[in-house]
Amino acid sequence: MLLKIFSVIAPVFICAGIGFAWGRMGRPFDTRMVGALALNLGMPCLAFSALTKLKVSPEAFAEMAGAYALVLACFLVVGLICITVMKLPAHTYLPVFTSSNTGNMGLPLCLFAFGPEGLALGICIFVLSSLFSFTVGWSIYAGRVAADVFYNNPLIYAVAVALVFMTTGTEPPVWLANTTRLMGGLAIPLMLISLGVAISNMRAAGAGRIIIVCVIKLCAGFSVGYGIATLLGFEGAARGALIIEAAMPVAVHNYMFAQRFNRNTADTASMILISTVISLATLPFLMLVVL
Amino acid sequence: MEIIPQLAAIITPVFICVGFGVMWAKIGTPFDSDLITSLVYNIGVPCLILATFQKVDISPGAMAGIAVAAIACYAAFTLIAFATVKALRLDVPSYLPSLMFPLTGSMGLPVCYFAFGDEGLALAIVYFTFGAIGSFTIGAAIAEGSWSIRNLVRAPVIYAIAIAVTLQLTGGQMPKWIFNTTDLLGGMVIPAQLVALGVSLLQLKTGGMARSAFLGVFRLAMGVAVGFAVAAVFNLDGAARAIVIIQSAMPVAVSSYLFAQKFNRKPEEVAGMVVVSTAVSFVTLPLLLLAVL
Repeated sequence: MLLKIFSVIAPVFICAGIGFAWGRMGRPFDTRMVGALALNLGMPCLAFSALTKLKVSPEAFAEMAGAYALVLACFLVVGLICITVMKLPAHTYLPVFTSSNTGNMGLPLCLFAFGPEGLALGICIFVLSSLFSFTVGWSIYAGRVAADVFYNNPLIYAVAVALVFMTTGTEPPVWLANTTRLMGGLAIPLMLISLGVAISNMRAAGAGRIIIVCVIKLCAGFSVGYGIATLLGFEGAARGALIIEAAMPVAVHNYMFAQRFNRNTADTASMILISTVISLATLPFLMLVVL
Repeated sequence: MEIIPQLAAIITPVFICVGFGVMWAKIGTPFDSDLITSLVYNIGVPCLILATFQKVDISPGAMAGIAVAAIACYAAFTLIAFATVKALRLDVPSYLPSLMFPLTGSMGLPVCYFAFGDEGLALAIVYFTFGAIGSFTIGAAIAEGSWSIRNLVRAPVIYAIAIAVTLQLTGGQMPKWIFNTTDLLGGMVIPAQLVALGVSLLQLKTGGMARSAFLGVFRLAMGVAVGFAVAAVFNLDGAARAIVIIQSAMPVAVSSYLFAQKFNRKPEEVAGMVVVSTAVSFVTLPLLLLAVL
């Protein structure tokens, strides 16, 4: 059991560690370029490839999407309560609750814990979570409704095409399957290395309330994921993927958004860093629950 | 007509991934080639070697066969290229490395992988490793004009291949957590290199096109001839034969351009050779595959 847990979390630690060391050594790393490569080319291909391998039925996909929509609704409620009670500004603190690191950290965990089926289910959650972040989360940071990001995301189109293959039960032509599988190999390693580099450049600046917010976010994430998985009677890979993804720390793109809209970047960086460190430290326990 | 979809399945991924790189550069998105090369060679390639050899079970004999054939190919490339460069009265440090080392990594590996699966990839990696070590030591030394053992000792590829060969010979298995990690990190090698190739095809500043075009085509023709000859001499058949021929027939390696640029050895002309030979091989590669598959 311990060995199994180790084989799931070691790749995450090692890849992020490589990025961290890279950043600390002060070697140049263009986070935006690598991010674009991973998210605009790698991720759509990985999503298409994982979804069309027909390890997951369209019904299972829809169920998972519904379950994660419930998770997001709960996150919004928890976040609203928390910022009202603690009197925090919504534009910096609310998205922290709703956008989790379902890509960088969640996907490799789902993959190594539950194989290709876990990856496909994790991708279903990742798609929903990034859509939510890039529309609702973005709008909260921007202070206005923004939907154009939705159309500009190649991930949407890749998933739409994949859904056609899934619902008709056909396999994509070999050339397309080969291309997307090859290209999809970029996504996870590049995202994990970027995560490490990003963390190495962030400083945790201290107020106790930031730690409290992080702990609430992570505890709420785990409890909501666990609760909804139990409520819906999820088992195996579906249960594991939902709990893992719900329990992930604050997403790194929040920092980018905060920077862009001139919100409190120092606080955002601290929350990403602290929640990621706590999450990494507690990963073995999370795995013990889901495996 | 079974062969057309089969060829498409092997070659399309290469075209499309290179196409992504070309588009990337066309849109004008920044692309840090140094960073990608460094990630690929220091982290990706050693991991790909470890993970691939863990997945397959190749007899030491087959591995040694490819290794000897690869060395023979590189020796033949060196002799023919040196004779040609001398005969044409060209500058040795500028032209010799680019004729010696084909693009066995970004282009050769995916073609062999999709044609012959993990085993094909493993055999292609053996050929590629000699080229990678050779171009980063001998190739760099020729372009730089001085020799240094440090390049060899500092290449992580050397250690990865040593570990992989030891495991293969002893039948040892690496722990699951190392396999998971190396498999994940190795996955970025081929796509990252192909995108980088696409970007550089568009960004390379080419010059002296007539001579570059001639030398680029010469590199391809020499590769095909040497590949077939070596495969025949060593009596290779099946996947091994096809892989030696495919790897030998690859266009001029982009790493040759990097060295030419670094040591200022006519980078424009080397860039021209890269672009012309890559473009020509997009046309000739399907024909070559038809001949060897």
